[in-house]
Amino acid sequence: MKKNKILKKIKLRFTLNGEPVELETLPNKRLLDLLRDDLNLTGTKEGCSIGECGACTVIVNDKAVNSCLMLAGEINGSAIITIEGISQNGNLHPLQENFLKFGAVQCGFCIPGMILSAYALLNKNRRPDEETIKEAIAGNLCRCTGYKQIIEAIKNTKL
Amino acid sequence: MKEKFNVIGKPVIRQDGKAKVTGQAKFADDYKFPNTLFGVMVRTKSTHAIIKNIDYSEIENDKNIVTIIDASDIKGAKKTGLIRKDQPVFAFDKIVTPGDVVAMLVGVDVDELRILAKKVKIELEELPSLTDPEKSLDPDSPLIHPEFNTNLVVHHPLRKGDIEKGFNESDYIIEQTYTTPHIEHAYIEPECVTAIPLEGDKGIYIIGSIQNPFTVRRIVAEVLNFPLNKVRVEQAELGGSFGGKDDIMCILSARASIAALKTKRPVKIKYTREESILESYKRHPYRMHYKVGYTKEGKIKAMKIDILADAGAYCSMTPYVTWRSVVQATGPYEIENVWTDVRAVYTNNPYTGAMRGFGSPQIVFAQESLMDDIAVSLGLTPDEIRRINGYRYGSITASGQRLENHDVNLMKVLDTACEATNFREKWLENEKHHNRRIPTIEFKDEIINKNLILSDREFVEPEDTWKKGIGLAISFRGSSLGAEGIDAAAAYLSIQSDGSAYLLCGLAENGQGMKTAYSIIVSEILGIPVENIYYLELTTAHIPDSGPTVASRSTVMGGGAVKNASEILRKRFEDFLRSQWQLTEDDLIVFENNKIYVKGKEKFSLSFSEFTALAYKKGICLASIGWYPGPKIHWDEKVGQGKAYFTYVYGAQVAEVRVNIVTGEVYIDKITAVHDPGKVINLLGALGQVYGGVTQGAGYAIFEELSKQNGFPQELNFDQYLIPTSKDVGEIVPIFIEGKDEFGPWGAKSLGEPTLELTSAAINNAIRNAVGERYFNLPVNLEEVILKRKLRPGDIQRGSL
Amino acid sequence: MIPKLNYVAPLSLKRTLKILSENKKKAKILAGGTDILPGFHINSKRFRDIELLVDIKKIGELKLIKEFKDRVEIGACVTFSQICESDTFKKFFPLLVKSAETVGSVQIRNRATVVGNCVNNAPCADSVPPLLVYDAKIEIQSLKRKRVISLQKFLIKPYSTALKKNEVVTKIIIPKPDPDFKGDFYKLGRRRAVAISRISLALLLKKKAGIIDELRIASGAVTPIGARLHELEKFAKDKKADSSTFKELSILMGKKVLQITGLRWSSEYKLPVLQQVFYQLLEKVNEEE
Repeated sequence: MKKNKILKKIKLRFTLNGEPVELETLPNKRLLDLLRDDLNLTGTKEGCSIGECGACTVIVNDKAVNSCLMLAGEINGSAIITIEGISQNGNLHPLQENFLKFGAVQCGFCIPGMILSAYALLNKNRRPDEETIKEAIAGNLCRCTGYKQIIEAIKNTKL
Repeated sequence: MKEKFNVIGKPVIRQDGKAKVTGQAKFADDYKFPNTLFGVMVRTKSTHAIIKNIDYSEIENDKNIVTIIDASDIKGAKKTGLIRKDQPVFAFDKIVTPGDVVAMLVGVDVDELRILAKKVKIELEELPSLTDPEKSLDPDSPLIHPEFNTNLVVHHPLRKGDIEKGFNESDYIIEQTYTTPHIEHAYIEPECVTAIPLEGDKGIYIIGSIQNPFTVRRIVAEVLNFPLNKVRVEQAELGGSFGGKDDIMCILSARASIAALKTKRPVKIKYTREESILESYKRHPYRMHYKVGYTKEGKIKAMKIDILADAGAYCSMTPYVTWRSVVQATGPYEIENVWTDVRAVYTNNPYTGAMRGFGSPQIVFAQESLMDDIAVSLGLTPDEIRRINGYRYGSITASGQRLENHDVNLMKVLDTACEATNFREKWLENEKHHNRRIPTIEFKDEIINKNLILSDREFVEPEDTWKKGIGLAISFRGSSLGAEGIDAAAAYLSIQSDGSAYLLCGLAENGQGMKTAYSIIVSEILGIPVENIYYLELTTAHIPDSGPTVASRSTVMGGGAVKNASEILRKRFEDFLRSQWQLTEDDLIVFENNKIYVKGKEKFSLSFSEFTALAYKKGICLASIGWYPGPKIHWDEKVGQGKAYFTYVYGAQVAEVRVNIVTGEVYIDKITAVHDPGKVINLLGALGQVYGGVTQGAGYAIFEELSKQNGFPQELNFDQYLIPTSKDVGEIVPIFIEGKDEFGPWGAKSLGEPTLELTSAAINNAIRNAVGERYFNLPVNLEEVILKRKLRPGDIQRGSL
Repeated sequence: MIPKLNYVAPLSLKRTLKILSENKKKAKILAGGTDILPGFHINSKRFRDIELLVDIKKIGELKLIKEFKDRVEIGACVTFSQICESDTFKKFFPLLVKSAETVGSVQIRNRATVVGNCVNNAPCADSVPPLLVYDAKIEIQSLKRKRVISLQKFLIKPYSTALKKNEVVTKIIIPKPDPDFKGDFYKLGRRRAVAISRISLALLLKKKAGIIDELRIASGAVTPIGARLHELEKFAKDKKADSSTFKELSILMGKKVLQITGLRWSSEYKLPVLQQVFYQLLEKVNEEE
């Protein structure tokens, strides 16, 4: 039935954490796998593979998205930011500082996605209220923290 | 006892935090080794069957298959288990639950292997399945493991006083039955492990999402028939566990190891969420029958408890989980006459084992709900009934243990919770508004259509829709393992000549912040800044076996060991300085802020690094191994009497909710959580334990449930197995009451589990206060609130897929 | 796992239609991907045999919200986030905005498209009931022709629509409603965020001197697919807008849904609750001034 399917490699050009990237990859690869396997950016995590947990959240063209629900081809021409790309000149991003300061991190598996959801929010809305923050991270499941210290960390971040 | 602290009890930033917020922290799947192969599982569609034959002929020559592993590849134990050896690494004689794995395909391309896995022909002889634990002990029910001749896994009786006399002395008797469902741990990181064959005859190296490396080592060694020192197990950063990455990781590590040794290549197993939920163990469903006799003044005279736990297909930690239940089943109340039976039985359901709470969330839900009904029946408030019966110093528990040698702070946490929430006033006010109860619809055996259509009078006006409620629950909880297991822990502390330090404890970080808590303890004793302490990666080769990270024991036991290691060095350093500086015994040497000095003689002062350089030059040993054996406890299994735990912690939670009497929605507005964990070591970590535990408890209360069809879990991913999001739980207010205790580091005890065990009962009581209805079955979800029962789809469909 | 498939992202609609006509059976349009990719993961029958995904997000015109004097058009690649942020929609189609805000999470709304929601046609599709009460139409394009049909006609049965293999939905066309309409959208989920609808309702009401001039009702998740309830709408016409009418309507709603679906596992809960929440929604909309 499914014999001799030839997969045509696709060429991609995009910026990743501010740097231009050009590469070839398989057409049935998810963005998540492109990041983790091809580019060795393992800060992006896989928790559910169906866009429910948010552990794989990255920023595509300023918007938070689930990288498990995108094919690599879809990012052609886009600007991608992953957790590895938000520190500036070796300094932690203010969100990262606050996640530490407010005790927002326990096991840490959801944290990259959580921080990126918050990052996308704050870049659009510098002073979000608590409800807005909760809505912005509702797609990022955390089983450890109960979210309270995460919300505090975001609320107290000044960009 | 030391009362003033430099570091203890303050908010300290996690040591592993920076790696985690930058994405650099390496979890199991982030480790990549050259030449790695992957393992994909072969399962059946059966719940209970005899395996007649496994035929690989259709796939064995496929180019994608490097090798196929099954039970025939096992040189050592084919069945394992932490307590009872009933769980096969690969099923070979029977399928006893849908998660069972008969073989593992090993190759490079996981996608191809998944397709091939469906082509293995497994010849089965189907057996009748047993999925109702109530029927497990029926004589005509099938035996899950015929070798044990019974489906009874364990029976814990507890007998105290004269139960009949107690009922005779009672004015009232209340009887109620409560149930709780299977619960998934729902760690966000699914299981992942890599096994790597070591050079020569060094054995095997395993790195993965492992809760308890020493347990994995023991099981893998048994399966491989290796000595313990040839199985080296390392814990990667662990993406959540909550008790859930124990047995399952033993089995996965064993499978990966067999394949790695056979292929001489690294073999990785990485589960999808669906596989994780299908195969991993759950929290036990309980059916709990309580019969309670009490006087008209509210004094409980007798409590007869019958509990049935569904162990599922394998024993796992069931005997220990249910043992905690038997110790704590009466709740924190002094009752003269108690008769408790806790039984756990095999079924073909998913197996059940350790999960945060460990046998307590179930019984606290039942027994604390019941306490409110007793209060209501007597016209008392919930806090009054608890004050009449609750433990004080010197009280005797159901198991006959006198509560002493620590602050028995039950009344203090209760009073604090009530005052902080204005509990009694709100509760009494809400009780007045039961005039509009839930329009419960009752059905006979068959649904009669017309009942589903409302009559004019049944419509609820918008302003009458939401009802407010407040509810209370209190508990006591034994710290650490108790009489259920060997309890001791080791720690290794090695100071370097420049004053920096390595620290390692034999217990494993589960994400809760244990490493930081331990570093704080060292810092407190030796004055080294926490950031100068490097917490070593835990491998089984480098530190004595310290038992598992379970039972909220890491602070009390591991902390005790770290304190011991630090004190050994402190004593050694002081002795050295006394001779070096020619001090007397009366001179007080102070270690703080990275300095050592003599109080009142400031010329005797060294920075910590100057000191270590000096001590190193003088040949002083700068390393130590600390050890903390648990205090003695004893238990008489026949009557359930004895000193069950060496100490206890106490907690009270108040839930404030709104209930929609039309839809059954429950909004959790606020939880006030008052806990006596003993001494708080890291305030940030302690707060996080409360927020996280309460939120898991809230999910348990109102929506979490793993339902089954013929033993198959139905909610296999987070689109269906719902855990709380950021929007589901309102305010959480943690309050700590720090009681004194002679055990644990400065009296630090347990917090992780008490925070979770109370929440569902407090919420259930708040719902009753809101709507005047008692609910007996978790979760109190939409259907439960409206219909007082669950509805199950015949054929579940996945969301929008 | 993602099947072995190829991926193309044509830059024009014409090219897209050409590719579709050449690969009829094996090709599938990819817009937001939030239904297709989870479908791949669970090896859903609906997506198993796809050999070519045709990504239409590079076609600029499909990404636009266009406002005209009498109508607004939603291009095939317009996401729920775009709807949530659109002043035009907030002004003319608040029910659609409200429903869009309840779709999945921010991450999902940033990808998922309104057109995709309709094409997927899940029973619980959140945007369908509001679109139905707004009398939305679907524009469908093939190489040879363009056709416009009503959304209700477009939706055939769960996960099935009138779209043919060689066609692309290019836009949804929604006429601007009479400003006298008041309305609301209601959704009941098991959780307060990222929840699948158990019940959804969209309602538009126009009154004249306390009399119901026009009432439009659509339901989701309680009927096999999102549907307008014309019988109820007719019943309501010219009746007094008061509690007694609303109760009658709600009872009728219960009967109608029971008639459509028959007894299902969830009926015991859903039917009575549906009547209650529908009644309350009617009351709420009626009170709005």
